[in-house]
Amino acid sequence: MSQSLRPYLTAVRYSLEAALTLTNFPSQEVERHNRPEIEVPNTSAELLLQPMHIARSETEQVLIEPSVNSVRVSLMVKQADEIEQILVHKFTMFLEQRAEAFYILRRVPVKGYSISFLITNKHTESMKTAKLVDFIIEFMEEVDKEISEMKLFLNARARFVANEYLGEFVY
Amino acid sequence: MLHLQPNNLLIQKTLAEASEALQAGAPLTFDRIISDFDYTNFHVSNTNENRTQLFLSVRTKAWQSILECDGGAQGVLPYLAAKYTRLPGVTVATPCEAGFDYTLAIDLEQLAPETVQQLSLLKTNIMSFPFHLAFQEFVTLSAANPTTTTVQVGKFNEETGNVSSYDVSKTLYTIQYRDNENMFIKPSNDRITVIFETFFQDETDKVFGKVFLQEFVDARKRNRDIQSAPQVLFSTEPPLELQGHLPQGNEIADEASKRFITFVLFPRHFANDELQFKTVAQLTLFRNYFHYHIKCSKAYMHSRMRYRVDTFVKVLNRAKVDEDEDEAKETKRTITGRKMVY
Amino acid sequence: MTDWRRIDIDAFDPESGRLTAADIAPPYATQVSLAELQPRIAQLRTLASSGDMQAAVALATSDPPYSADAQAKAAYFQAVLETLTQVRQADIAGVVKALQPAQQDVLVKYLYKGMSVPEGQKQGGILLAWFERLTQAAGVRPVTHYINDRNTV
Repeated sequence: MSQSLRPYLTAVRYSLEAALTLTNFPSQEVERHNRPEIEVPNTSAELLLQPMHIARSETEQVLIEPSVNSVRVSLMVKQADEIEQILVHKFTMFLEQRAEAFYILRRVPVKGYSISFLITNKHTESMKTAKLVDFIIEFMEEVDKEISEMKLFLNARARFVANEYLGEFVY
Repeated sequence: MLHLQPNNLLIQKTLAEASEALQAGAPLTFDRIISDFDYTNFHVSNTNENRTQLFLSVRTKAWQSILECDGGAQGVLPYLAAKYTRLPGVTVATPCEAGFDYTLAIDLEQLAPETVQQLSLLKTNIMSFPFHLAFQEFVTLSAANPTTTTVQVGKFNEETGNVSSYDVSKTLYTIQYRDNENMFIKPSNDRITVIFETFFQDETDKVFGKVFLQEFVDARKRNRDIQSAPQVLFSTEPPLELQGHLPQGNEIADEASKRFITFVLFPRHFANDELQFKTVAQLTLFRNYFHYHIKCSKAYMHSRMRYRVDTFVKVLNRAKVDEDEDEAKETKRTITGRKMVY
Repeated sequence: MTDWRRIDIDAFDPESGRLTAADIAPPYATQVSLAELQPRIAQLRTLASSGDMQAAVALATSDPPYSADAQAKAAYFQAVLETLTQVRQADIAGVVKALQPAQQDVLVKYLYKGMSVPEGQKQGGILLAWFERLTQAAGVRPVTHYINDRNTV
């Protein structure tokens, strides 16, 4: 693991651990509604807690927005060039289209971020909080790895293909 | 499936089928449309009355430009006729089938394997005509001005304001083989330059294409084994060879997204007929080849992401509280492991 | 006319009980102005440039200007960020350990604030190193305090 990745993940881990203390909280405004307060526009301010920004660099960040019964975690995945941009976009699209399988995945990322998770008290009741944190940490690690591997693959394939094509001209 | 083959497998299969049926004494009636790359269609047909004679018609986007590429002399007709009428049982049907550009009549009784092979190469042979002209012109040019010095390609001449620091032919053969994409062939006294004009509709293809094309350019520099391959250049601006030659009317909305790939063929690439054919077959498939591999890469990434999503789901499922777990602990068992039933 | 079904009527109802961010800000007896903060910023800079990082960080994290306006907070934050980035990686652990729990709570506020603005994000690695040392020394406690504290820096 690279030198600055470990502190980054540690910071996210501690922040998530602190934020994932959720409770059931019925809506104060609408009867018999129970909604993730972080997603409610113009919700009463006391239900929202201090948001946490964790940044490794300007292009690699995590935003954790806690509230009384839900936490929204948004990731900004590093996109160094055009290829990575496309790969990240495709990959996150792919995940978002399968959001039901992920329970905590948000179908649309928060503006400015690549992918968002929404964890509610329902999730923390039916899942182990520590494992949820593990999942997000592992996700962050794997996404970076996956993107760079795919990029390497693309270059390797292009190189091979070009070599083979031009090789046909060698007489 | 790394390389694309210049021959059309479906034509081969259809002809084999027809000849087999004829030999078995039960000739078939045919009416088949066979597709090939770049909007090329073949039509294999015969009439109910005369089932031993098969017609093979072709329609291709490039036909019009190839017909006119030698100044309107329509030299491609005798060129193809010479290529095909020497084969037993093949004649040129005139006039050609309505809606098609060129029709060959084949007598199935005399069908030989070599004929089948040649017929399946019909598209490549049509495309090879401008190359054939270029090869001929190269011979005259190099005889008129033999040179051993290598001049940098496209070097700009300060004094004359021309690119012609070597003896370049005035002619530029253009093959309009797709709607907005062209192939240009320019012979000179020591080389033949082939330029592909291409553009990508899809944003992803554009980026992937850039990676692929860059590798084509770099491959020769990096790999010693293919030093003798043609030099490949890549630019977003029309190369100087094309200045003032770009055909009108095929501008696309996003002119800036056009890409130009230049292949510089040296005499060793077209020294004899066999090499000429190989070179032409490779070059005409260039666009198909790298687009095919872009699609392959995309397909691979897709399946890879699919797999990755599954592993993520597995990790997430680990977080779920297993309800059976607590239950199982509570179930009382006897010392032999049987469940206690109340 | 906008879609009247989407109008948030509770926002117009003074009796709705809905609170805004301004409502829940803790009441401050006095407001610190930028001019009053200047001597502190100067002192911080002197300590940092003289190399006494322990004292500089301790000063930066004690009694932060919660009641100041945004402009004064930004000026003070700038000085704190400079101080934090001047500490050598190896010294961070020692400095963090010597801080009082209350000071550690303040430190984490500055770390999160630092990572939320572009100037701090450029120094992301250093701030993350601070964060790591802080959690090693104090665990999750300062983070929990940060989330629930309405006093912002």
